Order: sequence, then structure tokens, then C-alpha cells
Amino acid sequence: MLDIQLLTSGFIFGLSMGSIFFLMTIGLSLCFGVMRVISLDQLLYYTVGAYIAYSVSLVIGNLWIGILAGIVISALSAFLVERLVFRRIYERELPFSMITSFGILIGGVGVVKLFWGLVPRPVAMPIDAQVFVLGTEIPVYRLVVIAFAGLVYVGIWLFLNKTIVGKAIRAGIENVEHVEGLGINVSRLFTLIFIIAGGLSGLAGGLHGPLIMVEPQMGLEVLAFAFMVVIIGGLGSIKGTLVSSFLVGQVVSIGSLIYAPLAAMAPFVLMLLILLVWPTGLFGSPMLKK
Amino acid sequence: MNLVRWWSGLVVAFVLLALLRVYLPLPFAIEILIFSIYTIGCSFLLGRVGFISFGQPAYLAIGAYATAFYLSYFGTNPYAGLLVGLVAGFVGALAVGPLLVRLRGDYFALVNLALAVIIYYLMQKVLVDITHGDNGLELLTKMDSTPVLDISRPGHLFIFVFIVAAIVWVFYKYLDDTIYGACCLAVKVNEDKLRFLGYDVFKVRLTAFVIANTTTALAGALYAIHQGLVSPEMSSPARAADPVVVTILGGAGTLYGPLIGSIVYTGMKDMVSKMIGNWELIVGFTLVVIMLAGEKGIWGTLEPRLRRLASRVTGGKFGEAE
Repeated sequence: MLDIQLLTSGFIFGLSMGSIFFLMTIGLSLCFGVMRVISLDQLLYYTVGAYIAYSVSLVIGNLWIGILAGIVISALSAFLVERLVFRRIYERELPFSMITSFGILIGGVGVVKLFWGLVPRPVAMPIDAQVFVLGTEIPVYRLVVIAFAGLVYVGIWLFLNKTIVGKAIRAGIENVEHVEGLGINVSRLFTLIFIIAGGLSGLAGGLHGPLIMVEPQMGLEVLAFAFMVVIIGGLGSIKGTLVSSFLVGQVVSIGSLIYAPLAAMAPFVLMLLILLVWPTGLFGSPMLKK
Repeated sequence: MNLVRWWSGLVVAFVLLALLRVYLPLPFAIEILIFSIYTIGCSFLLGRVGFISFGQPAYLAIGAYATAFYLSYFGTNPYAGLLVGLVAGFVGALAVGPLLVRLRGDYFALVNLALAVIIYYLMQKVLVDITHGDNGLELLTKMDSTPVLDISRPGHLFIFVFIVAAIVWVFYKYLDDTIYGACCLAVKVNEDKLRFLGYDVFKVRLTAFVIANTTTALAGALYAIHQGLVSPEMSSPARAADPVVVTILGGAGTLYGPLIGSIVYTGMKDMVSKMIGNWELIVGFTLVVIMLAGEKGIWGTLEPRLRRLASRVTGGKFGEAE
């Protein structure tokens, strides 16, 4: 029933989907890890990134420049939101940030609708080539997406482990007060993390554009998957996010090969099972908000 | 005298609500009533137990679809349909409750929203043969007229929903006065201390969860009857924030907050969609502004002033005790 060709293409499909999930949720995870806020507005930067990539590539004719522009605009809007809104709510309880950021997400979707309208837009595939892997045709673009996720993971790992700012961020995940006590400007650190998170979400949107249609609701459509990824991986853990995004990607992809409607349901079942065993996800720390 | 004091607020509120019927178009008045029943569950969870739930649409959809399934495939009596919706909500909440209430607040909120989205997909794609996907289930013509109070007619439906709302409010006001209500508040404030007092925190949370979400499912069932059409749109992620917005707008955990919030929110949405047809923009930014301005909400800000006014007018008979 499941031949090797179908399975290979399903596997690659799952890997590329997992890559998008990873890029999209790493911001959510970083923001929770250090600032202890749930930043649902990351999905807005994902939408914005996709739309900017679409518009710029229409004008210039090159998607890569579009994606770059998308990253810049997303990071910029993340910076503005952090300065205007999140700055005032770091001290509040967790649900507070969740409601506020959901407001930003919904409002932002309204702004996107205002600019681009409701119609879904197709984005041209930048690479049309196919390669043969185990006798199966695989679009090169999907492999490029996977490579991007790999590069970002390595980049984040190097940044967090080899640079002084990255080490401060890791220390912040453990204990923000102590970092502040060392004389590090925590407020500037928070802004930096927000910009990085927004940029990565924008990258995810730009890369995802050619694989799907770009539409105002796209952020809300992946919302459930983003949640499942961070919950399964554990809020605040980069490694957990990586593992669980590829896990969810495979479950969706292989699941839909077996029975199509499974695609949306399977990750949810997986999440419930994992939460039954580990209530804070695979790699989540059991500590509460301080 | 205590009895009078206990009932006075409720009576005033519901007399004012009855006036809605006079000044507002009928469907609009029904919508407000159902929406406030929908919201009080969320308000109870958020303000009294400290659960933030972005998954209320899930339970709304459970109630609505149970009623719709009954009326489309099994029977024609709308009252029986309502009962089916209510029971389905109770069973559904009892089924997922034990897993969900164990979770920490942040995970609870996220899993709940995921649940709403899953139900959305379930109804839109997976069960498309029986739910007719996005076209929805039509049940306006499937309902029989019933004797005495014919809820398949809007005029009678308003009276019925009004009575249901009144019962729900009496129930929640009673709940606030019981020891159990105090336990709920204790879970929110400090669950360790409640545990030291010998209460089972898990049980308190589970009961609150089931009560709130059964109420929500009841609202869903009423929606099904009111609209005569049930579609997956009900639990779409874009609507997930609605009850939370209204809860906070009115004042979380207050008794009359959901009523005021519903009136303001439904009115606002109606006006906004008439003017620009882009309600996400307005709702989203209203939410952010409310959150930044302070989370007490309209009723939370108004209530102390009204109490002071009432105690001045009546010479201290009302208002001081609570």
C-alpha cells in the first residue's frame, strides 16, 4: 500500500513542513524562555513576511530579495510592537501577554486585509528544478527550505553558545534577575530577542509562501500547529522546538498519506498523549513563572 | 431583608434587559442574551478560578453541533435538541477536563485553543458527510412548533432565552455565595493554602471547568436554535478571542460584567461591520487598548461607584455588606 517512493516524498514533505514549523515557533519559544510571555503575534510577523515577500517578488521578480525584505519588515514590526506594547506587560501574569498578543495578531490581520484584500495570492516558485532521491522526484525548493532550517538552528546554537550576548540570553532563560544583577541591560536584551524572533517568523512566512497560497488568515491557520509544536517540545526550549517541529511535520505528512483527514487530527492526538506523560512537554522545564 | 438584598441586583439587571426587547430589534436582543450566557462561563473560569481559556468556541461548537445533529437526523423537538446539546457539553467537558485541568495555566490556554481548532477541522473537513462542511447544517425548517412556548418562533425564543439567562445568573450568583465558590477563588489566589486546608484542588478545578463549559455548550445549543444554521465558522480560531474580549471588556469574574460586555461588544461589532466590514482590526486593537488601560473592565470600574451611590441614596441599607 505504501510504496517506498510515496514514503520518501512524504518524508521529505514532512521535513520541509517541520522546517517551516521550526522557524515559525522558535520565536514563540525564545520569547517564553526569556521574557516569560506568550507572543502569539509571531504569527502576524509570519503573515507579514509572506506578504512582503510576495509583493516585492512581484515588483522585482526575485523571491530571495523579497524574503530578505520580509525579514526586515517583520523584525521592524516586532521591534515596534515590543516598544509600544510588550514593554508595558512584561511584569504582568502570563495570560495577560497571551490575550494582548492575540489582540495584536487579530488587529494585524485586519491591517493586512486593509492593504492586500481578502483574495489568496499565489507566489511563484523560485526554483523549478527537481532531483531524484531513491527514485523519487523531489522539488529542490523543499530541500532548500530544510537547509534553511538547519542553517538557522546551527546559527542560533552558535549565537547562544559562542557569543557573550547569546550567553546572556541563555542565562536569562535560567534567571533574569541574576543577569540583571551582573549589570547586563536586560531591557535591551529583550528587544533584541524580540527582533530576532520576529525576523525568523518573517523568514518562515517568506519561505512558506511558494508552498501555499498567501492569504490574510494564514497565520490563524497555522496557529494550532504552532501551538502543538511548542507544547510538545516544551515552552522555552530550542532543542525541544526543533525535535517537536520535525515530529509534528512527519506526523502530519505520513498521517495524511495513510488517511487524508488524519493530517489535522494526528498531531493533536500526539500532543494529548505526550501531555499525559509529560505535562510540560518533552523538554519543557517544570518551573513556574517567577 | 437579606433576601431582598440578594435578589435586588438580579431583578434590576433583568428588568433592564427586558427593556432591550422594546428598544432593539428582536434578533439583536436574542443575540446579546445568548452571547452573555456564552461569556459568563469564560468569565467564571478567568475571574473566579484563574483559568484563561481560549478554547471556549470548542465547547460552544460541541453544544451547537449536538443540537444540530439531533434536529437534523433524529428528532424534531427543539427542547429535546437543547437538552441533547446541554448533555453533550457536560459529557464533553467531563471527558477532556481531567487532562486539561492538570496543566499549568500557560499550557491550559494553548491546549484549549488547539482543541477549538481541532473541532473546527473535524467539523469542516473530517466529518464533512454529516456536517456538510462550510455550508453548515440547516435546521430552521426541521424544528416542530411546540406548545405553550414555541421556541421555533423568534418572539417566543426571546422569552425562553430570557428565562434561561435569568436561571443561569441566579445559579452563578448562588455559586459565588457557597463554600465551593470561595474554594474556586482560593484556587486562583493560592492553591497551596487551599490544599493545606484539606480541599482537593483537582476536584475544585474539574467541577469549575465542567460547570463553565456546560454553560457554554448551552449557549451553543441556543445559538443553533436561534440561527437555524450551524457551521464550522463557530469554532474558527479567528473567533476564539471573542468571549475573552467580552469578559475583559465587562470585567472578569464579576456577575454583571458579561451582560454589559455583551451589549457593548455586540453593538460595537454591528456598527463596525456596517461601516467598514473589517471587524478584526477594531476588535484586535480594542483588546490591546483595554488590556493596557487596565483589566478591570466596564463593570469592574463602575460597580464600586454604583455601590457608593446606592448606599448614599438608601441611607446605607444596600451595598456595604458584599
